[in-house]
Amino acid sequence: MRTRPLGETGQESTVMTFGAIALNWLEQEGADQMVELVLDRGINHFDVAPTYGDAELKLAPKLGEYREEIFLGCKTQERDYDGAREKLEASLDRLEVDHIDLYQVHGLEYESELDEITREGGALAAFRDAKDEGLVDHIGLTSHGNPQLILDAIDRIDDLETLMFPMNPVVAGKEGPDHDYAAVLERASEEGIGTLGIKAFAKGPWPEDLSEDERPYANWYEPVDTPEETRERFDFALSQGLSSVINAGDPKLVAMALDAAERFEGEMDDPAQRSLIERLRHAESPVPEQLHH
Amino acid sequence: MVPTTVSTALADRPVAGTVCLEAGAGTGNTTAGLLAAGADRVYALTDDPEHARLVADRFADAGDRLATVEADLRECPLADDSVELITAHALCNLLEPVALEAVAAELTRVAAPGAHLLVDDYAPPPEDAAVGRLFAVENAAASLATGRPALTFYPSSVLRAAFSAHGWTVDRELTLLDPVPWTASHIEAHAEAVRSAAASLSPTSREALLAELEGVLDDIEPESVGEMYGLAMRY
Ligand SMILES: C[S@@+](CC[C@H](N)C(=O)[O-])C[C@H]1O[C@@H](n2cnc3c(N)ncnc32)[C@H](O)[C@@H]1O
Repeated sequence: MRTRPLGETGQESTVMTFGAIALNWLEQEGADQMVELVLDRGINHFDVAPTYGDAELKLAPKLGEYREEIFLGCKTQERDYDGAREKLEASLDRLEVDHIDLYQVHGLEYESELDEITREGGALAAFRDAKDEGLVDHIGLTSHGNPQLILDAIDRIDDLETLMFPMNPVVAGKEGPDHDYAAVLERASEEGIGTLGIKAFAKGPWPEDLSEDERPYANWYEPVDTPEETRERFDFALSQGLSSVINAGDPKLVAMALDAAERFEGEMDDPAQRSLIERLRHAESPVPEQLHH
Repeated sequence: MVPTTVSTALADRPVAGTVCLEAGAGTGNTTAGLLAAGADRVYALTDDPEHARLVADRFADAGDRLATVEADLRECPLADDSVELITAHALCNLLEPVALEAVAAELTRVAAPGAHLLVDDYAPPPEDAAVGRLFAVENAAASLATGRPALTFYPSSVLRAAFSAHGWTVDRELTLLDPVPWTASHIEAHAEAVRSAAASLSPTSREALLAELEGVLDDIEPESVGEMYGLAMRY
């Protein structure tokens, strides 16, 4: 599988990062098999979080076996020093490792949280101390939130090395600063920050009349689930300049994402990217009045 | 919402501060792009009263930067040499050759010396495209109802030639979409065009066409085929 530099971390990440949340829905034996599978296919970057149910615990056995082959990302939703330190130690314990390669501020949503993590006694101070102690190698941030907030984070966190945020043709087709992840990608590339794409496979919110236990996939959005769409989405996301793309969470979809990643040959050209953006825009439009594009 | 086709076509043109004509305004997507790009004034011209009303409503707050004009482009009501940038986005496929020639002459007449012209349209769909069958039924229905086909897909070379003959030179050509996504909503809109043309026909023709349409709709799936190109010209 192809690799891309993860910003200036020195890490060359495979174009697909394994979102280990998938392990949460598997028994231990299945989890072990899945880790073997993704490693077999060449994946070298894993991402996990303590909020993903049992994922950390289920990752631990195989992680012990293959620790050297895996660039391990983890994260915390704690915003203050003590909370972040505690969660880091808990993750090290649960994962049974002595260090985490990339530790990320998880799910930043509001400006006020940016104030919290950057202040004295904030989570980032704990990250930095952990880095000095060799518990953490690199510092990152993840957000589903406003691109402007992510741009502010880039400005305010000098030692930020990676970002994780949504990227797909639905988002890319939307106008205005609230959807301008292209600006984030541009800034990140200028600053040598690695970029990890989430929600690349999101089709949209689940239909409202579908109750949670009727949903065919364990994702909090409805994912694409055909090989062709999966490939298109993968290629599109990577063509925006991301370092690596994370699979949809449901374990049933991991093999399809691996296939897409393995078959990735090069970036989609602009007319094909626009084609995908326009197709999805029209697919969303409730009234069939458009005869043209 | 400005589609990426429109924003891409406009991106390398000097729109800010110019007087523009959107030839064939439809629901005004290009008008949106022109206004957003800082056009001084946009004439959004269409022969469809409903489109004219829609566009006027959609951009009610554009004030006198926008004038909606209901007219036929074969006899354009604008003065000679009065516009600096003309867009024909997905217009030409609605003009059969005779109309295309008349429209090219009129657009040339209203263009100021040095004016820009954008012509964005669809290359003929590939032979095996299912949408081609739908377009054929649409053309049959339109020909019976009005004596003219609804759709004519010109290769870019034909549109280049049509405008070159009036003194335009081509600046650039780019591919806006490849492939072109014909979605369920496009298919439904074209099917509706067949139904409405068929409605004015004799019961026998109508039923034959509607049966043909049903046959096509049974087989057709949304598909991405063909190409949409963008020509930019100078006068
Ligand atoms: C497909 S729409 C164009 C879409 C539009 N330019 C956009 O960017 O959204 C075609 C428009 O051209 C108009 N039209 C077609 N033939 C015309 C003619 N001979 N004179 C004036 N308008 C015409 C149609 O009524 C319709 O409003």
